[in-house]
Amino acid sequence: MTNDKRGRIMLPWPAARRIAVNAGIVIGALATVYFLGTLGLYNLGFVAKNFPAFLHGAEYTLGLIAIVIPIGFGAGFAFGWGRTSHRWLLHSVSTAYVEFFRSMPPLVLVVFAWLITTLVVAKNPFLSARIEDVGGFAISMSVVALSLHSGSYQAEIIRAGINSVPAGQHEAATAIGLRRGQSVRYVVLPQMFRISLPALGNEFASVIKDTSLISAVGAVDLMFQGTNLASLTAVSGHLGDLTLIWLIVAFIYLLMTLLVSRTLQGIERRYRVPGLEAAQL
Amino acid sequence: MIAVRGVHKWFGQLHVLRGVDLEVTKGEVLVIVGPSGSGKSTLLRCINLLIHPDEGDVLIEGVKVNSPKIKPEWVRQQVGMVFQSFNLFTHLTALQNVSLGLTKVKRMPGTEAEKLARYELERVGLADKADSYPAQLSGGQQQRVAIARALALNPKVMLFDEPTSALDPEFISEVLDVMVKLANEGMTMIVVTHEMGFAKGVADQVVFMDAGQILEAGTPAELFAAPKTERLRSFIGKILG
Repeated sequence: MTNDKRGRIMLPWPAARRIAVNAGIVIGALATVYFLGTLGLYNLGFVAKNFPAFLHGAEYTLGLIAIVIPIGFGAGFAFGWGRTSHRWLLHSVSTAYVEFFRSMPPLVLVVFAWLITTLVVAKNPFLSARIEDVGGFAISMSVVALSLHSGSYQAEIIRAGINSVPAGQHEAATAIGLRRGQSVRYVVLPQMFRISLPALGNEFASVIKDTSLISAVGAVDLMFQGTNLASLTAVSGHLGDLTLIWLIVAFIYLLMTLLVSRTLQGIERRYRVPGLEAAQL
Repeated sequence: MIAVRGVHKWFGQLHVLRGVDLEVTKGEVLVIVGPSGSGKSTLLRCINLLIHPDEGDVLIEGVKVNSPKIKPEWVRQQVGMVFQSFNLFTHLTALQNVSLGLTKVKRMPGTEAEKLARYELERVGLADKADSYPAQLSGGQQQRVAIARALALNPKVMLFDEPTSALDPEFISEVLDVMVKLANEGMTMIVVTHEMGFAKGVADQVVFMDAGQILEAGTPAELFAAPKTERLRSFIGKILG
């Protein structure tokens, strides 16, 4: 055991410390659920019985996260860059994108994307598709809409990151003979990322939970499974079991958010510059 | 070696350079003095094309460099530049700052670039700081790394844009020492500075700029001992306090 600057007892290795903190959060949450169970608030056997449902839901939600984060980041990066452009068209299109998607409640976007896709495809006489066949595609469009919503937030994060790299950095890169693209790649981007990472991590953590909105248009994700089980249980009128369902759902969302945010913090550490902490730019 | 002929520059309505002529021969040290806003920094940036002149020519060894036929990246390899605010790449170590141009611009293999970068850091007395990040260095050390970064590309001329103006007084001399050493080694230099000691001791030629024009030019002795214009007289009075 070692002590930190403020005299608190610390584990000797940073990695061990981080694992201990994460394990503490997970075990603490599980212990709380178990403890409430021992009080007889609900029947823990209920979890075992419905385990496959939670598992399928978690799997589906992981899939949603794996789609929403890359698309959102891609859009955010592209339009954030566009926002800093001096070219009128690029700047205007990017600004319009950000302002539109940022101003829409994500649930409205999700429902709208589904409705419009279904209308256009199913009601189009040339495609002559049946509504049942369009379902999966319409949900995909909702996922894209949610990604673009997240992207509009990320675009602003990226824009702020680019703007906070001092102009002198690009000037110095140019002065040693780097081409514009090289200056961006080797000088501006790495610094922009270091500055943007904490805010990006925040947005990723936020959009993970927003994926639950996709259940509104029929995705069988974790939120859907929770709602489904709850409606079945509600018939029996057992409030404890109902509580348990949402505790489990909450716990799984917690796990996923932890996974992503801790990964981001790992990347943050890799980009850390000695003597120059995030707060000082 | 370096010639500036009738260079004009406008920033919107603002006429920053109003027909500037300069001639610097090989191995010569030219010091540019003048009040802020007189166009000194703009003039320096016209020489390595960080700013493109609107009128007039810039010639390096007889080659007109502000021509569409010449790649600006090539020009910038011939001309090293040191900035007032150092502008070291904050995410790279001192060594990486110096070697970036070697590997990416000169396409030198990594090990060779590192060896040369270490040598350049040694020249400015910072061999032991190779693995430090800029934020871990003092202002004077940062500026010396910046000089090494520019020297590594083996430029024909070095431009210094008020290299000591952002430094705490205690660090000024270590940077000036490096510059004096460089001048003694025969480097061609164009230096914008308010360090009158440096100008008197090292400069072969001094020009006084005001409002985008060169008002006076000559040896340091001529300019500082016997200023012809009232503008220069009052400027010297202010600088020397």
